[in-house]
Amino acid sequence: MNRRDFLKGLLSTSYVVISGASVLAPLSALAKSAARINDDWLTTGSHFGAFKIKRKNGVIDQVKPFDSDKYPTDMINGIRGLVYNPSRVRYPMVRLDFLLKGHQSDTTKRGDFRFVRVTWDKALGLFKDSLDQIQTNYGPSALHAGQTGWRATGQLHSSTSHMQRAVGMHGNFVKKIGDYSTGAGQTILPYILGSTEVYAQGTSWPLILEQSKTIILWANDPYKNLQVGWNAETHEAYEYLAQLKQLVKAGKIRVISIDPVATKTQNYLGCEQIYVNPQTDVPLMLAIAHELYTNDLHDKEFIEGYSLGFERFVPYLMGTDDGVEKTAKWAAAITGVNEEVIKDLAATMAGGRTQMLMGWCIQRQQHGEQPYWMAAVLATMLGQIGLPGGGISYGHHYSGIGVPSSGAAAPGGFPRNLDEGKKPLFDNNDFKGASKTIPVARWIDAILEPGKVIDANGAKVTYPDIKMMVFSGNNPWNHHQDRNRMKLAFQKLECVVTVDINWTATCRFSDIVLPACTTLERNDIDIYGSYANRGLLAMQKMVEPLFDSLSDFEIFTRFAALLGREKEYTRGMTEFDWLKKLYNDCKSANDGKFKMPEFEQFWQDGYVHFGKGKVWTRHADFRADPEINPLGTPSGLIEIFSRKIDRYNYDDCKGHPMWMEKSERSHGGPGSDKYPVWMQSCHPDKRLHSQMCESQEYRETYTVKGREPVYLNPVDAQDRGIKDGDIVRVFNDRGQLLAGAVVSDHFPRGVIRIEEGAWYGPVGDDGSVAGGANIGAICSYGDPNTLTQDIGTSKLAQACSAYTCLVNYEKFRGKVPSVSSFNGPIEVKL
Amino acid sequence: MRWLINLWKTLNKPAQYLTLGAVSVTAFLMGVIFWGGFNTVLEATNTEEFCISCHSMQSKPYQELQKTVHWSNHSGVRATCPDCHVPHNWSRKIARKIEASSDVWGWLFNTVNTSEKFEDKRLEMATREWGRFERDDSLACKGCHDYKSMKWDSMSKLAQKQMKRAAERDQSCVDCHKGIAHTLPDIGTARAPELIAEVGTGPSKFDDNAIYFSSLTKPIYLNERTDVEAGTLNIATKVTILATKGSRIKIAIAGWRKKMGAGRVVYLDFGINMLLVQLEKFAALEDGVIVGFEQKEDDLTGLKWQRVEVEVWTDADYLIDQQQPLWDYARTTFRSSCSVCHSQPDEAHFDANTWPGMFQGMIAFVDMDQDTQALVQKYLQQHSSTFVKEKH
Repeated sequence: MNRRDFLKGLLSTSYVVISGASVLAPLSALAKSAARINDDWLTTGSHFGAFKIKRKNGVIDQVKPFDSDKYPTDMINGIRGLVYNPSRVRYPMVRLDFLLKGHQSDTTKRGDFRFVRVTWDKALGLFKDSLDQIQTNYGPSALHAGQTGWRATGQLHSSTSHMQRAVGMHGNFVKKIGDYSTGAGQTILPYILGSTEVYAQGTSWPLILEQSKTIILWANDPYKNLQVGWNAETHEAYEYLAQLKQLVKAGKIRVISIDPVATKTQNYLGCEQIYVNPQTDVPLMLAIAHELYTNDLHDKEFIEGYSLGFERFVPYLMGTDDGVEKTAKWAAAITGVNEEVIKDLAATMAGGRTQMLMGWCIQRQQHGEQPYWMAAVLATMLGQIGLPGGGISYGHHYSGIGVPSSGAAAPGGFPRNLDEGKKPLFDNNDFKGASKTIPVARWIDAILEPGKVIDANGAKVTYPDIKMMVFSGNNPWNHHQDRNRMKLAFQKLECVVTVDINWTATCRFSDIVLPACTTLERNDIDIYGSYANRGLLAMQKMVEPLFDSLSDFEIFTRFAALLGREKEYTRGMTEFDWLKKLYNDCKSANDGKFKMPEFEQFWQDGYVHFGKGKVWTRHADFRADPEINPLGTPSGLIEIFSRKIDRYNYDDCKGHPMWMEKSERSHGGPGSDKYPVWMQSCHPDKRLHSQMCESQEYRETYTVKGREPVYLNPVDAQDRGIKDGDIVRVFNDRGQLLAGAVVSDHFPRGVIRIEEGAWYGPVGDDGSVAGGANIGAICSYGDPNTLTQDIGTSKLAQACSAYTCLVNYEKFRGKVPSVSSFNGPIEVKL
Repeated sequence: MRWLINLWKTLNKPAQYLTLGAVSVTAFLMGVIFWGGFNTVLEATNTEEFCISCHSMQSKPYQELQKTVHWSNHSGVRATCPDCHVPHNWSRKIARKIEASSDVWGWLFNTVNTSEKFEDKRLEMATREWGRFERDDSLACKGCHDYKSMKWDSMSKLAQKQMKRAAERDQSCVDCHKGIAHTLPDIGTARAPELIAEVGTGPSKFDDNAIYFSSLTKPIYLNERTDVEAGTLNIATKVTILATKGSRIKIAIAGWRKKMGAGRVVYLDFGINMLLVQLEKFAALEDGVIVGFEQKEDDLTGLKWQRVEVEVWTDADYLIDQQQPLWDYARTTFRSSCSVCHSQPDEAHFDANTWPGMFQGMIAFVDMDQDTQALVQKYLQQHSSTFVKEKH
């Protein structure tokens, strides 16, 4: 059969599909025939990039980067292990005591990891019965199915959409607002710069490389973080970083990394570093502002024409209102940055085109709104907002922001909401006076203190009394803070349902666990490059779903069938019908602008290319005409002083940015006498949050004695008698964990790093897996959120504050327990 | 020339030997033969085979038709070219045939024989067909689709609302349903085609003092003649008709502006950043275009605002008599587009002045044309906590 014949065959097959009565059969035949022809290298994509896969005897054998990916991530070596690893959820399983006693189960045993295998019918039946009970006994305020996360890529099988559509057909539930990554930033910046900024397209890299004289990387590590993206990542930004490296080397651009640690980006670029004490970025920024102001280096015309409230900020800067002038000398004492260095930095930033590139870490701390607001004030004073290579960006380390966009339309997804006019089975909207939407990071508070009223973003939020949680493709037992507090909260829940690929810690603390298959076990479609929109990617099924796992589409179609609403759920369409629909809708949206072949041809090719994009400057339109192109702030201008926030009368977020001491801070700050070390829990270098930690062989390339690495300063380590490769116990009043020492002079004294996403693996004092249910149990692998504190950033954003965390550590001398994170539950047979 | 003159003389002579009957019968028979032949040819040109016998019809419109529901559907009924493009009424059919003789010209001179040429002409050809449909109230559609036989219950709520309204006025189908059998031309109407398909382009005649709402963001002018744009009227903006001259209408918009710059941006209400009109500087400064009234300071920003009335001209199109269809469309778009990555927030979760910032901050992830973006943003503002008080 030659290619031409094959294509003809495809066309006739698809004709049958359109006109024939049986839709399912020819489509699966199509999938199979396409797969057979393509048997050498099939295309697919993931958060980690696009790649080609070769199978051998029905098993994934080799993975290589997609042809156009010139800078593939090292994590490509972990892809195979995403499918084949001991953490996979193989069968639907139910927690032993829940299976026996249902909603009256002993919840203190939650987390003892004893599970019983059941059939899909049984598991889905229990799921539905639980929802019935909750809606009947308490109503929608008792169900939280809105806590969603990073899922796996693919527009059709996107796990949260499926779960929320299906559960939404049953009844209403509590939802979240915001996210853990950028909670403070996305809340404060609309008041200041008129948009969330964190997720907005930024000035194109080519313009930055061409125009910037100085680039400030403020708590920003793009070289590490650009490895992954919300959709299939193209890694094109690395080309620009490579060019930047050359420009730094040639002395054409000065890059300054302001950070307590020498980041991966700094080491790659070979750029300068200004060390700053953890959590003291605001004093440093204030001192730079003070330098600009007192040396008349600020752009008065820009401030006058494009911003509001500078005059109400100056008294604070000059200390006329609080008696403290924010001088370089004042800041030096807090930040650990030499007075002269601050003055030089201010002069450098004002001395030419300066692009500030902010990372997200510094807004994931108490008062995390302040550094973002203050940085915007600095950028306003420099007057370069809206100029190519100048101004401020809050996203150039994320999902390829700054890579010019093709401008093509991306495919939509499987609908998350009920279809127009449809009602849930339990059509009850009585939330009993509680809020339907709560700030994302405050759900544990709500479970522990139902009915409590808190301030949030200018409104009052009343915590609902949550009795049941449903998660899908989401691992809050990674990204939420303070594990032991979470355990307390989960003991109050009657039922927890989790749909996942792997036995995450969230599964461990659930009652019903349903196995989803990986992206490589189903067909899907994705945009290539979240912001670049470089092309359209076929995600072709490589192998049949392993064990009893099913695709998200299949799981919730079956669930919908229990409600008698299967047809409504799928709209009578199969997986392939949906893929064609998503593709064809995208094709018509691009009609006349971007050429797309027929679906069958696309599926055969695996890819549609949309071409290169055009360069673009953020806020250039605002700069050109602020009247016609106002910002989305109340005034339409940059708000250095926000009367709106001022009127909220919050004590922890006032009318202008200011320095506020933290509840705990290292280097002489509060609590540092007891716990002297600041723990940084940044986004991982070799995972996407907790995704890929389960990929065993790949994990073993970086673990230390099977534990997550803890990066230690050489002098600090020596003081504690710790050598590289030792097992270390890290602890504070909130918890304790074991991790493997990596001693490195990239880390200053008083600072350690444990990357978030390390799987929680609690064990009892006796080292038992079941003992992991106990409050205070040690984490055997090294999850940093065992130690972090669960407080809001402020009354404004109420976002997470993982970076406000002090700890201490010592060489672990006890009996070393086995790691309990990765081998699934203790299976109990009834 | 002699034979011609002879023939004329013969024909001009009254019949000497033939009876009147014979003459009549012969004439009748000749008429039958001629008429039969004419009709045969007419019918032959009324078949799909004839239509697609020319390459340009076969390669474009025919191919496009085959992808639509008019070609293949559950019931197996198929619409062929003449079903839609040849009027069923005899006199109109003949008129159409005479009109269509220009197609022969086109065929002879290769007017649309390449894809590029076809695309260049597509708008012109489509406009001609749309005009014809509009003139006879989409009679060709109504041969199969009857408002009276529609089963309202099986339609979505939105469809019901739209269709019932159309049925009441026996509206021409193509007013809304353009581009259903062939690809839509890439033109002005291709701006937000789905939106326009839902809400329509509005009437072409307007009563003075009546209220209308813009269904697209429209250019505005300082008089009925000029082509110099004086600014834009934002989508879903309420206007009052003051006068009609030719294809232009004079409209009035009431709102508030910030007293900053040239004061050329008009918003819905005091302190509320919901866009109505943006004027070019020259237009804003022109006497009588913006009439200012009382001023107030907005306590939340310290900016002065002024109540104003704007009088400008705009083309007599894309103005519809109700605002609700625009909101219905925006609501559906918001809920589907903004729930691909996360659950969309409730409309009333933010106030009217916060929504632009939230919406603009996420827009990079969403495929919406400019008009739809502007509409969805305005929808969110209109249904924000500023106007809708409910616990959320």
